Amino acid sequence: MRHFKTLLFHELRVVFYSWNTWATAGLFLTLMGTIYWFALLECSRSPQPWTPVEGTFKLFWLPLLCILPLLTMRSFSEERRAGTLSSLLTTPASIAAIVWAKFLSAWITWVVLWLGFIPFTILVNFRLGSVNEERLSDPTVLIGALSFIFMSGLLHVAIGILCSCLTRSSALAALLTFITLLGLTAAGGALESLPIESWTWLGWLREPAAHLRTFGHLQDFAAGVIDSRPLVLYVTGNLLCLGLAVLAVEGQE
Amino acid sequence: MTEPTSQPVAAVVAELLTKRYGSLTAIEDLSFTVAPGEIVGFLGPNGAGKSTTMKILAGTMAGTSGRATIWGESVSLNPAAAKSHLAYMPENNPLPDDLRVEEYLTLRAKLKNVESKNVQERVEKVMLDCDLIRRAKGRLIGHLSKGFRQRVGIADALLAQPKVIILDEPTIGLDPHQILGIRDLIRSLRGQMAVLISSHILHEVEQVCDKVVIINRGRLVAQGKTEDLRRELLPDSVFNLISNTPLAQLSEICLQIESAAKIEIQESLSGGWNRYRIVIPTQSPIRENLAAHLIKAGISLREIAEEHYGLEDIFLAATRRTTHDGLKN
Repeated sequence: MRHFKTLLFHELRVVFYSWNTWATAGLFLTLMGTIYWFALLECSRSPQPWTPVEGTFKLFWLPLLCILPLLTMRSFSEERRAGTLSSLLTTPASIAAIVWAKFLSAWITWVVLWLGFIPFTILVNFRLGSVNEERLSDPTVLIGALSFIFMSGLLHVAIGILCSCLTRSSALAALLTFITLLGLTAAGGALESLPIESWTWLGWLREPAAHLRTFGHLQDFAAGVIDSRPLVLYVTGNLLCLGLAVLAVEGQE
Repeated sequence: MTEPTSQPVAAVVAELLTKRYGSLTAIEDLSFTVAPGEIVGFLGPNGAGKSTTMKILAGTMAGTSGRATIWGESVSLNPAAAKSHLAYMPENNPLPDDLRVEEYLTLRAKLKNVESKNVQERVEKVMLDCDLIRRAKGRLIGHLSKGFRQRVGIADALLAQPKVIILDEPTIGLDPHQILGIRDLIRSLRGQMAVLISSHILHEVEQVCDKVVIINRGRLVAQGKTEDLRRELLPDSVFNLISNTPLAQLSEICLQIESAAKIEIQESLSGGWNRYRIVIPTQSPIRENLAAHLIKAGISLREIAEEHYGLEDIFLAATRRTTHDGLKN
């Protein structure tokens, strides 16, 4: 536990002192600000069935696929390339402590980035305070959607960490993360669109499809519906990925 | 650091260590020991398997078979305990470029179980010992010269006062002044910690080490004190002498003194003088006073000197022997 704390503080320090993180944060906020701006414009032109915040979070897959790989890609691959991971493994710190410290620091960064979106909504509320639109200042959707991001982030960041363990190249780690996250995000929608009802031999897919409906999870969270199934999925997926990451580091050294 | 309950007989034990990469055997049945407080030189030509062995002992690479223990703890079965007694500086000494020297050493001290209240004191002490405190303490590691980076690596190794230190090429890329400093530092560790050090600079190893372990092509070819290896691997003593006595006469006299002596002319000098090379067994009783015997027999000598066999000769003899054996096989 002592090593974990030491490593976590070190990782957080490295992350927040790195230009890479600030560049990524800049990119993230620009992207989110732009999406939010267009969502506001769309809502101002004609009435929409969704709020600007809802509209923005519907595109959560964009930062997920473009930004998250940038946060996790260097965590292990860079250390393996530079040889500092071998040096770290000669200390009594366990591989599990190292993996968990790197995961948690990346997850915290991911959370902090998304929290950076809140000022946009505050600013909009402040500037458009005279507009009589209740849904514009309703924080429920924002809290629900952010909860989804933080919860699903447990799995998504763990996937990024696992991919970073598998290669010495940061670029390759980012690409692997991108492909895996794309597959995971699209899988639920793809499975749902299959005519499972008419193809009886595909009946066994009904259950996994129900579990993997990522966009459905976002809607549920944003609507304030807390279903235990996505929570179990994201927590167990996180444990599985980090367990595999520990084995990957062990196997490579 | 974890305090050992009792001091083991050997600080490092490598027993029949083998590492294979598919069909390639990096090391095979390698066995040696390092006693507590002993400084041992680990030698071998490039690709002999030195770094592989060191990585296995440090627990950063798994061996294919065999047993490795550090201060009585199995590296594979009880890695945390083994690592708590060990400090390892790998070849090329990888360091994080974006940390300052003091920050890095503080982090390493915490990871190496140095008590919180002693961390600052230990960091200051090793920086002082490694001459980092004045010029490198607050600098980014990425901005340091090769010499200072090596010092940071050694300071890291000394941080937790481990029982065993493994240094893979610690003086590579250093200038003579820096080598001298590192050598003195390592020498000062004698009796306090067991040190296993690999180096290509044989003179340096000879100066510092109590014992050497020589490997070639992944196999152990010799181990022991330099003097013992000299006797084992280089059984003959060579004398160079300058005399005006003809070869035939000198040979006759030498053979009377020592029947196993071999003599050859090396160089003809001006004025009838020649440079001769006499080879006699090191164990021969006349070795100690060959000059006196020759003068007594009426040989006129202008110069006589015994060739000194250094570690380089021992190393060459040991590795050549195994290479020839390998070729024969």
